[in-house]
Amino acid sequence: MPIHILPPEVASQIAAGEVVERPASVVKELVENSLDAGSNSVTITVEDAGKRLIEVADDGCGIPIDQLSLAVERHATNKLDGPEDLHCIASLGFRGEALASIGSVARLTLTSRTTDTDLGANLQVEGGHASRVLPLGSPAGTVVRVENLFYNVPARLKFLKHDQTERRAIDKLVTRYSLAYPLVRFSLHQDGRLALQTSGNGNRREILGTIYGVEIARQLIEVISEDDWIQVLGFTSPTSLTRSSRRELTFFVNGRPVKDAALSAAVIKAYHTLLMVNRYPITILFLKMPPEMVDVNVHPTKAEVRFREPDRIFSSVQRAVRRALLAHSPVPNLEFQPHWSDGAAWGEPHTIDPTWGWRDIENQRKEGGAIPEGSSPTPGSQSPPITKSGLGAQPAPLLRPVGQVASTYLVAEGPDGLYLIDQHAAHERVLFERVMKQRDSSIPSQILLQPVAIDLPPYETRLLQEQLDILGKIGFQVELFGHNSFLVRAVPAILENHDPAASLRLLVEDFEEDETPLQAELEARIIARICKRAAIKAGKNLSPEEQRALLTDLEACQSPRTCPHGRPTMIHLSVDLLERQFGRRGSR
Amino acid sequence: MRASVLQENLAHGLSIVSRAVSPRSTLPVLANILVATDEGRLRLSATNLELGITCWIGAKIHEEGSTTVPARTFTDLVGTLSESHVDMALDVRTQTLNLRCGASNNDLKCIDSQEFPPISVEDLSDGLEINVADLKEMIHQVAFAASTDEARPILTGVLIKINNDKITMAAADGFRLSVRYAPLSSSASLPISAVIPARALSELARIVEDGDQTVTMTMPPGRGRVVFQLQNAELVSQLIEGSFPDYEQIIPHSYETRAVLSTSAFLKACKQAEIFAREGSRIARLKIEPGDELEPGTVEIQGQSEETGSSENVVDATIEGTKLLIAFNVGFLREVLDVINTPNVALETSADTSPGVIRPVEAEGEHGEFIHVIMPMHLGS
Ligand SMILES: Nc1ncnc2c1ncn2[C@@H]1O[C@H](COP(=O)(O)OP(=O)(O)OP(=O)(O)O)[C@@H](O)[C@H]1O
Ligand SMILES: [Mg+2]
Repeated sequence: MPIHILPPEVASQIAAGEVVERPASVVKELVENSLDAGSNSVTITVEDAGKRLIEVADDGCGIPIDQLSLAVERHATNKLDGPEDLHCIASLGFRGEALASIGSVARLTLTSRTTDTDLGANLQVEGGHASRVLPLGSPAGTVVRVENLFYNVPARLKFLKHDQTERRAIDKLVTRYSLAYPLVRFSLHQDGRLALQTSGNGNRREILGTIYGVEIARQLIEVISEDDWIQVLGFTSPTSLTRSSRRELTFFVNGRPVKDAALSAAVIKAYHTLLMVNRYPITILFLKMPPEMVDVNVHPTKAEVRFREPDRIFSSVQRAVRRALLAHSPVPNLEFQPHWSDGAAWGEPHTIDPTWGWRDIENQRKEGGAIPEGSSPTPGSQSPPITKSGLGAQPAPLLRPVGQVASTYLVAEGPDGLYLIDQHAAHERVLFERVMKQRDSSIPSQILLQPVAIDLPPYETRLLQEQLDILGKIGFQVELFGHNSFLVRAVPAILENHDPAASLRLLVEDFEEDETPLQAELEARIIARICKRAAIKAGKNLSPEEQRALLTDLEACQSPRTCPHGRPTMIHLSVDLLERQFGRRGSR
Repeated sequence: MRASVLQENLAHGLSIVSRAVSPRSTLPVLANILVATDEGRLRLSATNLELGITCWIGAKIHEEGSTTVPARTFTDLVGTLSESHVDMALDVRTQTLNLRCGASNNDLKCIDSQEFPPISVEDLSDGLEINVADLKEMIHQVAFAASTDEARPILTGVLIKINNDKITMAAADGFRLSVRYAPLSSSASLPISAVIPARALSELARIVEDGDQTVTMTMPPGRGRVVFQLQNAELVSQLIEGSFPDYEQIIPHSYETRAVLSTSAFLKACKQAEIFAREGSRIARLKIEPGDELEPGTVEIQGQSEETGSSENVVDATIEGTKLLIAFNVGFLREVLDVINTPNVALETSADTSPGVIRPVEAEGEHGEFIHVIMPMHLGS
């Protein structure tokens, strides 16, 4: 085929692909337009995960009749004048791309009226072709209706994620904007269900309550910091409140949601030594700086920005968060100071994967069955499978309890020296194998005296709803009970000593979007989390009998040397190492 | 301060109050025991701010005064003294307590009693007299059902309700409920409803002595505290705020199946099932089978685990209603059967997912004063 210029429809569809990746991107563009128009109230209606309908109605300044058809033209905007303006963009939109792009991949109906006229007007764009402008009566403000998104781009339609995932992305997006613009009244309906409603009274904590639940919202620490040129406002979690991923780090720069690894790193750095490995805070920060300090024109969906003086910004953010944290409470220092002079002298090669997560177990499972498989092997009749790391499925040595240290570790004597056992990790392992075994028949569940109600924010509601079946299999009996609330009727028997509502909440918080589609694996993953919660905590005094029982149970495990999350349960100090450390024998 | 006491009395007094000492508190004085002269006797007090226990022992007072003595050292020392007479003398300036007993001469570093938080001495008029034997039994039958999970403070307490001449105690941990009623000899002027930490009540049950006939309970209005006064001791506890679950609504009023069986045989069967259910699920399965003209009804109690094996016990029973299979946490069953004093016990339930009600079977004419509700377990699909 000779080189030729693409027909305009194709060219505009390609361009549109950059701006409009998925239904949530349409919502984003329309909401941003409404915010740019100075609206006090933004009402969003979504049907069929955005594929059938996305409508955004506002009470903003509106578009004059004579400019209506310009608004849907490519590169038509009223937010930018000349090239010099590009360096200091104060509005969310500036490209004049959004409406044109949407119009080329959906049917777009634009209805608007400015406050100073009595008559509004309406126009339709389909496949990039705009209809004539028709005057008609309409309320002041703008309504944009987007129907049949991607009807003419089947490839895009095919690659959309699960409807639930798309709905959740929309929930999340609107909630984030409602936080950034607390003076604007937002409401979001999905398939006739009210998913979010904010009051527009400026109270951010109230909105945080609808996202994270009242309890967490109450705990979040306010960050307020301002110097001559940057303002850092927002909320961050106390060190006791953490998540397993960076997912809850949210940043707005000049009112614009932004993904920025360096900003995340700055926040995580502020928590340096205060959080356990692989735990992350919940943080929502709103940065405000002069528009010329930030280049927003670097990413097709504006999801990224470039800072003029990044270092200065990161250190401001880090300082602001750290200061808020320290002011909140004096915090213990978790930094580990190794005391043994010779780091390589551990009794056996301790390859601990620093990313202790499910990966670990998955790998071990592939390599040798750290997780007991469906049929339990006949005891004694097989040699223990050895995993690559040399840990995991090795049997535990016979251990004689010696005592407990810091109410957290057990000290035991084994065949070759001293063992330190992490009581929590060890108990986690014991419970995990027990429950996995019960899973073959059935996992016992304890019914509650009275069902307990819990309220969840919209997107967690969806996450939980998707997992109700699995939760039922592992002993939770939970049912949807009206709008965003659930009734817990029974809990897995091992969670007997824990607050049912809190347990379920914790589980849901750890649900990820797009959980693995493999049912069995997901079940094991949730069971591991339940065991983590049910296991003896560090800091609990154990009687000599309890210590002995725990060690015996651990010995009986198939993979006694790691917890279900892949962390070690025991550290071995060999006689050899002790002798060298005490100078009884020269180091080799 | 100078005083002489009998070693035996001092050791006993210390054993009573030392349970309220909080050795790991950030306030060092809370690891100490207050020793003070008090109207011809010696007063010993300890508190962890939630719970305070005071005890008075007979002493010969030579000079009034007070100080606070490190609990651990004090108790350990007094426990080893072999002579019967102990003389104490406080050097106020250095806050050093000299303790002499026979050939043993000891100096203990103390903390000024000014630093010790005041425990009670409130207006204790308007107290309510409760029979000690009743109270002890009530606590015994109810307190174990309270939760130990600090995340739900209200469930770690025992609800005490007093209405006219009836006292009710109730505790629930989310899975089971224990309720006990008893008559009062004197009737209360005002109805009372308060939640007292289960731990405080257990301590109270521990410290009442043979000589105590009645205990006086007082809740000074608006103070958020309860005071129990015994002949020679006093216990003050913080009340737990919050609303206690509406327990009456939880107690079922009807049943489909009722089994009456020997309490001791049932308890023994549960203990055996528990041996096997210890690891793992802690489930006891109950098969309730009505009898016919020839055979009596039976309850079969079964426990099992993957590792240890299984156990089955068949106990004869009088069954009313239909046959039923139901499962309970075996530990819950054992704990309630342990506190039932009657020879026979009744288990009432309606389905394998409805509450099981356990009541002592009283002699003809008496009505039930104790009710225990346990939620069943079920095995997930
Ligand atoms: N809700 C609205 N209220 C008032 N005017 C609007 C609204 N939506 C769009 N407009 C007008 O239509 C123009 C085009 O909107 P469009 O979103 O396509 O471009 P933009 O917002 O200027 O830039 P960007 O492509 O970066 O979003 C805007 O510049 C604005 O003048
Ligand atoms: Mg725009």
